[in-house]
Amino acid sequence: MKKKTTEKNGHVVAWINKAEWDQVLEYLYSKDCALQKYALHRISAWKGRFAHNTPIAVESTADLVRCQILDRSGKLDADDLVLLYGTALMRFVNLITERQQGKIARPLRRLASNLKIPEWIVNLRHDITHRKLPTLKWCRKGCKFVLEWLQQEYWSRQLGSGLAENWDSQSEGEDGEEELQRQENELITRQKEMESYKKARELLISFEKEQFQTFEEFLEEDKQTSLWPEPSADMSWILAQIKHFALESSEILIDALIEDGFMVPTIEQLVSLSVDNSDDADPTAPHLPRVVLRFWLPLLKDLNSQLFINLLLEKLFVELQQLSEDDQKHRSFYIAGWISEVILCNANKNEYHYESKIQRKARLKDKIFMKRIQLRWQQLLAACLNAPCVAMPHLLQQILEDMEHPMPLDTRQKLLRLSSIYTQGADSGYDPSMEHSGQPSGIYTLESLHERLRVQSRRQVYMMHPGTVSDSLKALPERTEDFQEHLSPDVLAERAAELRGSPWQVCTDKVQWKNYPLGKVPGQSEDPSCLMVDNFSTIMVFDQQVEMENATQHNAHAGVSMPHRVTTDGLLWTHNDISKLKAGLQLF
Amino acid sequence: MKVHKSLPKTKQTSKRQQCKDKWFKPNRIPQNSDSSNLSPSTAMAKLEHHASNLRKDKPNLKRLKKKAKAVSFRQVKTLAATERTPSRPLTNGRAGGPEQGSDSDESQDWSSFAKSVLYQNGGGESMEGQESCVSAKAAPGRIEEAAFVHCAERDYIHNRTVLVMQQGQTLCFRGKCLLSCLYGRVEVHGFTLEEGQQSYPLFSPSSHCPLTVTALGDSPNPSKTKKAGRLEAKAIVRKYLSTETRKRLLSEVDSDSCVILLEPLDTPLTRFLTSFPDLKELFGLSSRDIRDSSAMLDTPLSGLGITPLRKTAGGMVMSQTYREALNGLVNACAEELDGCPVILVCGAKNVGKSTFNRHLINTLLNHTASVEYLECDLGQTEFTPSGCLSLSTVREPLLGPPFTHQWAPEHMIFYGQSSCETDLDRYLESLKSLWRLYNRETPIVINTMGWVKGFGFQLLVDIIRLFSISHVVQLSSGDKVMCPQLTPEFLRSSHGWQTHPPVQSALGEDNSGTHPAQRSYTLFSIHSEFEGAGRPGEMRHQRSNEQRDLALLGYFSQLQSPEPGPVRPLHCFTPYQVPHSAVAVGVTHCEVAPTHVLYTANASLVGLCCLNEKVSGRGSPVLLSQTPVCPCVGFGVLRGVDMARGLYFLVTPVAPSVLRQVNCLLLGAVTLPNTLLTGQTGILGEPPYVTMDYSFELTGAGKLHVFKGLARPGQMKHAK
Repeated sequence: MKKKTTEKNGHVVAWINKAEWDQVLEYLYSKDCALQKYALHRISAWKGRFAHNTPIAVESTADLVRCQILDRSGKLDADDLVLLYGTALMRFVNLITERQQGKIARPLRRLASNLKIPEWIVNLRHDITHRKLPTLKWCRKGCKFVLEWLQQEYWSRQLGSGLAENWDSQSEGEDGEEELQRQENELITRQKEMESYKKARELLISFEKEQFQTFEEFLEEDKQTSLWPEPSADMSWILAQIKHFALESSEILIDALIEDGFMVPTIEQLVSLSVDNSDDADPTAPHLPRVVLRFWLPLLKDLNSQLFINLLLEKLFVELQQLSEDDQKHRSFYIAGWISEVILCNANKNEYHYESKIQRKARLKDKIFMKRIQLRWQQLLAACLNAPCVAMPHLLQQILEDMEHPMPLDTRQKLLRLSSIYTQGADSGYDPSMEHSGQPSGIYTLESLHERLRVQSRRQVYMMHPGTVSDSLKALPERTEDFQEHLSPDVLAERAAELRGSPWQVCTDKVQWKNYPLGKVPGQSEDPSCLMVDNFSTIMVFDQQVEMENATQHNAHAGVSMPHRVTTDGLLWTHNDISKLKAGLQLF
Repeated sequence: MKVHKSLPKTKQTSKRQQCKDKWFKPNRIPQNSDSSNLSPSTAMAKLEHHASNLRKDKPNLKRLKKKAKAVSFRQVKTLAATERTPSRPLTNGRAGGPEQGSDSDESQDWSSFAKSVLYQNGGGESMEGQESCVSAKAAPGRIEEAAFVHCAERDYIHNRTVLVMQQGQTLCFRGKCLLSCLYGRVEVHGFTLEEGQQSYPLFSPSSHCPLTVTALGDSPNPSKTKKAGRLEAKAIVRKYLSTETRKRLLSEVDSDSCVILLEPLDTPLTRFLTSFPDLKELFGLSSRDIRDSSAMLDTPLSGLGITPLRKTAGGMVMSQTYREALNGLVNACAEELDGCPVILVCGAKNVGKSTFNRHLINTLLNHTASVEYLECDLGQTEFTPSGCLSLSTVREPLLGPPFTHQWAPEHMIFYGQSSCETDLDRYLESLKSLWRLYNRETPIVINTMGWVKGFGFQLLVDIIRLFSISHVVQLSSGDKVMCPQLTPEFLRSSHGWQTHPPVQSALGEDNSGTHPAQRSYTLFSIHSEFEGAGRPGEMRHQRSNEQRDLALLGYFSQLQSPEPGPVRPLHCFTPYQVPHSAVAVGVTHCEVAPTHVLYTANASLVGLCCLNEKVSGRGSPVLLSQTPVCPCVGFGVLRGVDMARGLYFLVTPVAPSVLRQVNCLLLGAVTLPNTLLTGQTGILGEPPYVTMDYSFELTGAGKLHVFKGLARPGQMKHAK
């Protein structure tokens, strides 16, 4: 869940900033016991923040430094110290090798050598756990070595080189083997995909070759017959192959199809198809050259199925979204053109009532499919809105008109309006009804957009449109709206009245809180020691009765685990209580 | 199901009569039952007067808007109360069915309930003695894609959809919406919505089992003729739809169909949650729905923020034992022989305790105005962020996962960790002090933790002993036995952490008298059979830490203003301030050097607690020497510390009138969701506690990671 944001926004750690980290590191490895102690105390606060996520290296370092401090204090005997060092060293070896473990237990020695931890440290750990305790001298030596190792392997390399890796990948704990397995699987699927992609391209190229040939022949023969010849035997075979391929991996086929040089023809291809590629085509209402459409028609007719068409549309939109506007005009024109074409095929307009049979035949000939199919309108709409381009209003219009369950008229109009504003289509005249009272159209400033949106959103809050649409609308005002909470004087007065007589207050400082992240207040210094508490008082608390209103039964036995009476109407003490009391009694 | 009962129940009719006043039952008459003994009642007129009297002194009613309806309910109820024959207590889990001519309202209630439960499962199998009655018009079961054309109509102007459901039909969906029942009765996760009731928000996010709306059909008013019913229903449809759109629907409506209204739901909670990039699709489809392509994307419902699911999506699976336990408990609550039932629900992790609890509470809320709920599970809490123990009075049905109902409990104690193993005594003491606040006048459901081994099991034994449990529901899954059956016999000899089996004294049988805790109870064993029972969820938002984060985000969504507008990040709110010396600060989960304690507290989640002691620190911070068991009134974020002026700044949704009592801030191992810190926008400079440069590649950079069940090389060979 957090993967995406952590990549973008960083990881949550226990130190305020790099300065605090540096200070702790410096103090930990200083020779001054007081400074080391200070660092240990700070790490205790870090542990409070990290809860269960304290890095092992930090914890191990703190444990070992603690031993050193106690050792230098001279207050402990050698035997005491061996036990202390022993625990710290043992924990270090066990914890640091833990991640190296796979499903099956492997010898620590091998794991440690992977980490450049020498065998003698591991042996020291073995001695401490199940052999004769080592001498203090060896313990000190071990401690010194491990601290250096930690400094080298962890502290000095951390927060430095910006090797940001994923928090989750480790902290959520897939062990190494699983990770490896996963990578391997990924590699295999990737490879397979690559192979089928290659195959898809080959198939399509052979289709193109065949079509070109037919086209040229056809050009030579007769320019007047507008009919393309029936597919040749070769062609049928190619088509059958493609169809078979599509059964298994239609996604890959589509990916290949919408590459340059296929459904998006290259300039050379256009020339050889004798399509005039001058820029007079209207990019806001893309219309495919008929030749290009007819070129691909045999293939598309063969492949059309609800699933395929839906997928194709989806992919086309995704593609459209990824195209940056300027450099790829040609490509986005064709992509949008194809989308338009597909949706047009699906349209159930009744405006063809009066056409002649021939007209009808001509019209239907260029259709990829005849029957209306179930498109995923909601997704289409979302996809369309996600892919802003000059043709967006045109496509949007088509989608909105054709939807199975159309949206309210005014929502449609507003959407269209918005999209044309967004794409600066300069009022392509899709909905004259919205063109009200001589408002200077043309130049839209951010403010006028906001105004419009505000009015709109106010009106539409309860009258929601489909989730996706409302989301895309909402995204706009959020970016610029003032996040700061402004409490009205009434609310402030009310809160103040309710808090009167208690130490609590509503903060009335004139502070733009939205500028200050959590954990920072105005005037706070960057000095990592700014939050130190110089003097403090401690209070002892007895267990509180939760009943606040009925504070008479105050039982004051803090920390003693004594069973309470089970019910209020029973005996004062139960048998258990009595036996416990008896056990607890000491006759001196 | 085995029902263990050792105390024979004595029937005291007078007492039960009394109980009826508290335990109000709306009439539930199954369609196929012979209604002649109720409907043509001449006694009704007489009783009507009586009933209206009753209404005044009975506050425990389900809120109904339509008065006429409410009265008619009561009529029948009173009738039943006077004419009823003592019904047999359920002893062997046999389904009641339409008790063959018995006119006790218990059995009717029962059978209707059983039926509703039946339909929930798709109406597949029928229970012993139970005949499912199906309207001839539409087969019961999931409404499928094609059917929506006929039974649903969208009103584009008000953006709402009217849906006509035939008896037994179900609608299983993802998303969120506001549901009102316009005609008939529908059931959602155990709760029955009737016409005239308020509308309820439904939340069916991708993280949980999808919700199902089931049409019960049997009209709550028995005196209505079929025709009158049909006309009424049609009138309702007319009221909500314009002329051209309602045509199709009108032909679908019959007297026993249900008409529901679905409206989009947009609350501070949903706005706040979906403002996080990771949670954008929280109310969308789950990966499983997509995998099984069970979503019906193009229906008249899609514009409302809900997506109906096909049969492949399953919905909630209730095993036979589950339904029997539910029935048994509802009956037990109706009977109330010896005080209100104290129901304890236990079982290992991921066996469906939480879902069962919600279902049980919802079902009980059909009959009573409120149910108490004692939270003993620190990890997966129902009404609070985790790390808290609480006692809540539940008055509203729970029609969504926990993060959608972070309601302030009546009483709460901050424990500070999501499991209790570090301090078992404090855990039990906290529970005991909550238990003392239970008034014993309403049924209570006690939720327990999934730790059912070792000391966890001992604590469970303690809880059963200490809280005079009357019913234990033990859930299990698979074939693996996680913990022994908690039969009353077993409990008589088992050791708890604080309690021990009674010494066999000379008095012998008298034991039960002196040990109220040893009172016997009824055990229901439920074997969960849903897919993935007993295993942790693997889908998005299902991991326990994600659930914890969601609960906290749900809690802090209360800060957002109820009016729609931009979502405010936490740091933008005007904080409260309090002097260092006026509130004590304590860390519950580890030892922190006192001089460095603010390094832990700054920008952390704090529990707002109330100590009896007066806190005054002569200008300097006050620290707690140990963790107290004290009431907690809510949570806040310690937004910052002003060292110069000696002030803490706190952002909290807790009302100022409550906040004034707070004199202690407790810190625990339950931390703020990371997204709250990493996603702060609009700030000046770098956010503290966030870094881009921490490398997890380095050895030792990760947290402590324990491999459970590491196999030795020898074992592996053996296994293969």
